[in-house]
Amino acid sequence: MAEQETKELATREEKVPAARKERPMVPPVDIYEIAEGLIVVADMPGVSKEKVDVRIEENVLEIRGEIDDLPGEEVSPLYAELTGKEYYRAFTIGPEFDLDKVEASMEAGCLRIFLPKVESEKPRKIEIKVA
Amino acid sequence: MPINWGFWMDPFREFDRLQQELDRLMEMTRPFVPIRSVATGTFPVINIGETNDNILVYIFAPGVDLEKIDLSIEGNLLSISGERDASKALKVEKVEPERFYRQERFSGRFTRVVSLPESIDPNQVEASYQNGIIKVKIAKKEEKKPRRIQVKAN
Repeated sequence: MAEQETKELATREEKVPAARKERPMVPPVDIYEIAEGLIVVADMPGVSKEKVDVRIEENVLEIRGEIDDLPGEEVSPLYAELTGKEYYRAFTIGPEFDLDKVEASMEAGCLRIFLPKVESEKPRKIEIKVA
Repeated sequence: MPINWGFWMDPFREFDRLQQELDRLMEMTRPFVPIRSVATGTFPVINIGETNDNILVYIFAPGVDLEKIDLSIEGNLLSISGERDASKALKVEKVEPERFYRQERFSGRFTRVVSLPESIDPNQVEASYQNGIIKVKIAKKEEKKPRRIQVKAN
């Protein structure tokens, strides 16, 4: 009986995933509104176009990135202000954006996301008539 | 007797989440900043590494205009200065400050100086820019490179 219990515990140990993962870095962002929509720019140095992942799940915009081309084994660190290799940030998005037409581009470590507004939410100019 | 939970539940997962949440809160308020750590908002952030033959400096400067960057080396001091216009990445014709909801990215002029090990040869420097990182490779002086010493058996 006792033997059986230890065996059970051992298998459970293996099942537990590597929960203590390094916390990802939080990229600084600029959020800017234009008439057509919202522009989000995030600084993610070291992340290439291939390693960036932008996704929308329900009403949450998730930005993920992984630093490409990390220094190899032969490089020993002397001084580090930045540690970590992943970026992550998430934003809740209101209903006024058309989530099917979101555009994202990556340039020199800056991720730019454009969230267009739904047509009915765009500002309309009201003509003032002179009586 | 193992209890059947029906599904596998990790009793410590909730503690883990709590710890993460607390860490995040602490980071936001930052009551204690270690003196050796860099202040938040430092731009650019710099990492330095070493190989047998080279010293490698990684300068994290995303979205900078290389024409406006001045990188120089004097003795064993590497300095970087320049200007970054963060709003350029927005790609809008005219930037109106009141339209920002959030402005966390660094914008403006900057200067940073780092001292490198004495073993570098300031005449052999290469620098490249990729994915927002300026990588500076500085060779070590020939006489300062580590040498392997063979141990002979008598």
